[in-house]
Amino acid sequence: MTSQRMIEFVHVRREYRRADGAHVTAVDDVSLIVPEGEFVCLIGPSGCGKSTLLQLLAGLDAPTSGSIVLKAKEIEGPGPERGMVFQRDSVFPWMRVIDNVEYGLKCRGVRAPERRRIARDYLARVGLTHVEGAWPRELSGGMLKRVAIAAVFANGGEVLLLDEPFGALDYVTRRQLHDVLLALWDTPGATRRTVLFVTHDVDEALTLADRIVVMHSGRIADDIPIAAMRPRNDDTLATPEIIAIKHKLLAHLGLQTKGAHA
Amino acid sequence: MTLRGLGFDPLRPLGALLFLGLWQAASASMAPIMLPSPWSVVKRASADFWSAPSLAYYGVEDPSLFGNLVYTSENVAIAVLVGASLGALVGLAASRVWLVRALVNPIMLTAGTAPIIIAAPFLLIWFGVGRASAVSLVAFYVATILYLFAERAARNLDPIYEHSALTLGAGPRRLIRDILIPATVPELLGGFRIALAGAWGLEAVSELLGAQSGIGKVLEVLAGATDAQGILASLILLGVVALAADACAAALIARFAAWSAAGAQRL
Amino acid sequence: MSAAAKERLVSLAVFAALAGLWQIMSRVYVVEAQPGEPMIPGWQILFTRTFLSLADYWGGGFGVPTVADGAARTYLAATLSLLSHLAFTLARLCVALALGGGAGFALGLAVSWSRFTRALVEWPVHFLRALPLLAMVPLFQLWFGATFLGQSLFAAYGIGVIVFAATVNAVRNVPQIYIDNARLFGASRFALYRDVILPAILPAMRSAALLCLAAGWSAVLGAEYLGAQTGLGYVIVYAQQFAYLDRMFLVALVLIVCTSASFRLAQTLFARWLVWAPPSMRA
Ligand SMILES: Nc1ncnc2c1ncn2[C@@H]1O[C@H](COP(=O)(O)OP(=O)(O)O)[C@@H](O)[C@H]1O
Ligand SMILES: [Mg+2]
Repeated sequence: MTSQRMIEFVHVRREYRRADGAHVTAVDDVSLIVPEGEFVCLIGPSGCGKSTLLQLLAGLDAPTSGSIVLKAKEIEGPGPERGMVFQRDSVFPWMRVIDNVEYGLKCRGVRAPERRRIARDYLARVGLTHVEGAWPRELSGGMLKRVAIAAVFANGGEVLLLDEPFGALDYVTRRQLHDVLLALWDTPGATRRTVLFVTHDVDEALTLADRIVVMHSGRIADDIPIAAMRPRNDDTLATPEIIAIKHKLLAHLGLQTKGAHA
Repeated sequence: MTLRGLGFDPLRPLGALLFLGLWQAASASMAPIMLPSPWSVVKRASADFWSAPSLAYYGVEDPSLFGNLVYTSENVAIAVLVGASLGALVGLAASRVWLVRALVNPIMLTAGTAPIIIAAPFLLIWFGVGRASAVSLVAFYVATILYLFAERAARNLDPIYEHSALTLGAGPRRLIRDILIPATVPELLGGFRIALAGAWGLEAVSELLGAQSGIGKVLEVLAGATDAQGILASLILLGVVALAADACAAALIARFAAWSAAGAQRL
Repeated sequence: MSAAAKERLVSLAVFAALAGLWQIMSRVYVVEAQPGEPMIPGWQILFTRTFLSLADYWGGGFGVPTVADGAARTYLAATLSLLSHLAFTLARLCVALALGGGAGFALGLAVSWSRFTRALVEWPVHFLRALPLLAMVPLFQLWFGATFLGQSLFAAYGIGVIVFAATVNAVRNVPQIYIDNARLFGASRFALYRDVILPAILPAMRSAALLCLAAGWSAVLGAEYLGAQTGLGYVIVYAQQFAYLDRMFLVALVLIVCTSASFRLAQTLFARWLVWAPPSMRA
């Protein structure tokens, strides 16, 4: 796949000063190129700087040094071309479900009937047509995540950033949402969005990613392409190559495995 | 299936009847000049409602309870609207703009603990006897409460909502209109309700200290005439107006905070 | 420097700036409320002439003669005057807090004993709470006259209604799970009240107590404004009748310092009693 480069991190560094005065390097000299349409999973132990990297790309935070380039333009601040699904619930409780999904379009001045049509379309794709008039507090955790994903996809950003979006969900719901997410990403006839998906779940990364980037202590420790066919299921992920990658990833996360000893 | 199941508890009106009964019994054992019976107070209230010649005799500008209730209510309404919008806006600004908070917060925190009634004699000297001093007293009180509620609500607002709106393409104006204000509305309305409840008493005290109209003025002349019946009638009418205003505030909360738990409770 | 220390420094600076601004205004805006009485008295006037003039309100005693008896104004008489009126105000407040708080709390607990009594009092209490307290000064004057007892009872009534309603509400809101848990351990009705309900309602009573303190101060001042012969509120209103703005201002400053200190004290006390409660309950 020889596509255009979409995102480029150039020697990005982010230091924090903690309240006790100590310096923490959350992201340490990260350089990374992500081509258009690629589904990248960022994986790594807790506190290794995954969220910080995503915040930097979203423009909610600025690097201490280095730069982040999006389609040949350095980013300054947040923008609707980069949608973000947060780890915690970010659906606005004071807007009904449909208004939440419409919100990005409203900000961009899309007319009411048009944005309602788009929002309904995406709500249908995440399977929430029946709750479009509900308040968010009436929805379950998994449904709220669907709303957040629908809102971000409906807004039409080319880049989607997801920070452990399914971390707090039960196993079954998570599996369902993987399918929903992949279906949205791989809609026939539409260009694929570029996705950065943060997770600490190896199986989740293997199910979703074209490429898995491993982080450790603020640095990129490994960068592994996943060539497995799509759609993937438990059987297609049981090939020797994928299992070898899985062992490698588990070792990166500090978990001893049989494969690592072999 | 039962009345109680429908949210109606017959014990409550029974409690009200019991209260009236106790009052009746107490009034029977006391001189009517000290504690008139409930029924006589109701009769007095209705008799003086549209026209009360005795008030004219004591020099009240508008000799009817209705007219003076209207005067008091107008003052409270103006003061509450002005004070609430000012207090809420400054409070929201203080939560986001460091300089505003640094300048305003110390003053408002002190004003929040000081009894605002201290200011009443000063306002009488500065603005004289009339609407201006009463309205400014109540408005300052309401503004203080709304400021404290707004500042706290906006400061405690999870930043994730503003971050999320920013990544969806919201600008600064939209952040205020679509995030900051609606997210703090339940707290703002809660503070509004508290401020409104206190406003009636302050307005009355301001009128008691110096006014030509209003329920406070009526209370003043009736107290001079040691007319317990008239005082109770005016007080109870004022209480009914305050209750009605509170019910309106509760309805506002149910309407505009329906998304939050506080709003849901009242639905 | 920590954020809290910085905030404290800034608020100190704001108050210092306000004091300075007042002084500048007193020089720039030299209008007089009446001859010899500036609308904005500078600090040098407030702490000398104004303070001395408080001697006029000294009622006598301790061998210090009153101005009414022809004595000259002295700093001693002024200090005694200020302290004695402050003592009257504080005495009204304390009597009211003790009487109103005690009666409201006891009645509230008693009524909470059964669901029936709770329902019976609901409407009357709702109505009593809606009656604007400060408008009731004339009623209490009619009943008790312009006496110390009457003024204290008035403030006690205002406090009592608040505490009563808050207690009933707090007991109703004690999570059922604590009560069930205690029942499973075999707690008696009395032990349940002492060991579960009382501690559990304490956080809710904290905000009620702060509310009472505010209501108590307002009620005492309101009563003193409208017909007392002692207390700082009386001094303010008496000075107002002669448009002595400087005296009013000085006494109001003393009052604000006292109210602030009383809130600080109440908060410290509750912080000590509520160390066990999670921060969300203490807010
Ligand atoms: N606002 C902040 N202030 C101070 N330190 C921070 C801040 N945000 C993140 N960090 C630190 O940066 C490191 C990386 O954090 P984060 O990116 O959230 O990790 P991850 O998402 O991979 O778990 C952690 O050590 C964390 O303590
Ligand atoms: Mg994280």
